[in-house]
Amino acid sequence: MLKTCNKITSLVHQLGNLLLKPEAVLHQQLRTTFILKRKHAAPLHKKGMPLKRLRAKHYIYELVKDTDREKKPNLDLILTHYVDNLGNPGDKVSVKNKFAYDRLLLPGLAVYATPENLELYKDYKRSEDEVVHSSPYAVETAKELSKKVLSVVMNMDNPWTIQPWHIKASFRKCGYVIPEDAVTLPAQPITGPNIEMEDKEFFITVTINNFETVDVRCRIHHWTTDLAARLPHIHEFWKENKGTVFPANDSNLPEKEI
Amino acid sequence: MSSQAIKSLALYKRVTEIDRGLGPRLPEAYKKFYKEWKLTEPAAVHSIPEEGKWRRDEVTGQVFPIQNHPIPVRYPAEYNNQIWGGEGVVQGFEKRHKYNRRVPHFWVPALKRSAVYSEVLNKHVSVIITERAVQQIHENYGFDHYLLKTLACDLKSLLALSLKRKILQELSQGCPAYANNPEKQQMILNRYKKYLEAYTPEEINWYGYSFEDACTKYKNLIETQNPVVPLKVVYRAELIEKLKTAAESAIQEDKDISGAASWIQKINPFSKKHET
Repeated sequence: MLKTCNKITSLVHQLGNLLLKPEAVLHQQLRTTFILKRKHAAPLHKKGMPLKRLRAKHYIYELVKDTDREKKPNLDLILTHYVDNLGNPGDKVSVKNKFAYDRLLLPGLAVYATPENLELYKDYKRSEDEVVHSSPYAVETAKELSKKVLSVVMNMDNPWTIQPWHIKASFRKCGYVIPEDAVTLPAQPITGPNIEMEDKEFFITVTINNFETVDVRCRIHHWTTDLAARLPHIHEFWKENKGTVFPANDSNLPEKEI
Repeated sequence: MSSQAIKSLALYKRVTEIDRGLGPRLPEAYKKFYKEWKLTEPAAVHSIPEEGKWRRDEVTGQVFPIQNHPIPVRYPAEYNNQIWGGEGVVQGFEKRHKYNRRVPHFWVPALKRSAVYSEVLNKHVSVIITERAVQQIHENYGFDHYLLKTLACDLKSLLALSLKRKILQELSQGCPAYANNPEKQQMILNRYKKYLEAYTPEEINWYGYSFEDACTKYKNLIETQNPVVPLKVVYRAELIEKLKTAAESAIQEDKDISGAASWIQKINPFSKKHET
């Protein structure tokens, strides 16, 4: 009986030690910039005399402001190089502090929008070898489209020839709104229905803002309302390589990114 | 002790490390920097100083003088290898509830590793820095402007001060980092030359050293100007010189003797070389 009592007592002591550790009692210290003020004002001293000795109560501080927690205003910069999703050289942009410092100022892609720099970049002349883009988002859009494999769904029952509006409709299904005049089809017409062309690739050229061009992979997929004749669903069809519609143009196709 | 005597005591200059030992012998250029670094009051970072000379109590209407007691800030040893932008560690107490006892607390700045780019040196430097320092860099439109505009008492850190010295030296030499691009070199010199007006070349060379480093530099300078030669070397040289002169004088004496004996040889009939 005495042994069990001793065991219980020792357990209680251990638990007490665990719970009463200073880490458990004190909350986690925040590590930021602080502006403090004294809870008790320091005693006044006579003119020309040294400060009076402060007591412990004069070292009790209250937090007035934590500057690191405040929302900081955006930084105004002038771009010196083209930056995706931001702009061309010479453009004035306003971006968040951290992004501005880490991604633009340190790599030397931008400078501060000082009066001197504003004057310097006011009549910015682009050099001949400098690449200019139609908009800040054009390159990003082109990259995005080049990664896509567009499924062009065509009728299995009625004859057809692929037209720009077919491509426009296929893009719309993927969530891209593209005008018909921005689509350039291959020189040879693609006609069907032809089951041999099922899942075979051809590429089209999409023009962005009448300036940048990007090649987009397309794959023909035959569709019918007849459930019996319908082709089976292929999961992740873009990973399978079934060849091209025009074997002579194999070398022209860009490498597939998956 | 009378109150007058106590008042007069306050007029005496407090003795610092620069007033004893090798300190008084250091050049004026370093003393000027030291005064700016250690004896100038830095800008308040962890408190908002009250402005004006007097304030009125809103309740009682009493008028009190305004006396700003700065909050004591501590700077650990690592501070000199980092750029904290004037921040430091505040040691004090926190009263978390009116019925609770005060709790000891340290207010520590948030440190992060980042890089700073010096346009004059044309170099990126990886440093541990605080958010306040980054904000000050933005406010001054660049790291070089921040270092050159800010006083030594606000920079404090030896790393920041040594970088400032290097930047000033680079500017005084005409930016050799851009020697292959004269147009850029000229642009940078025009942008930063206004900061050189405040310093003489000697002040630039003595800027940003700690007291110990300045003493070491001064000792080395004295040694190069007046090299201390051990006495054994001096005595050895003197002895060699004496021996040389002794040998030369002996040879000379021999010559003199031989010169004197030559006329006897001429008339000596038994000599081998007989001249008539």
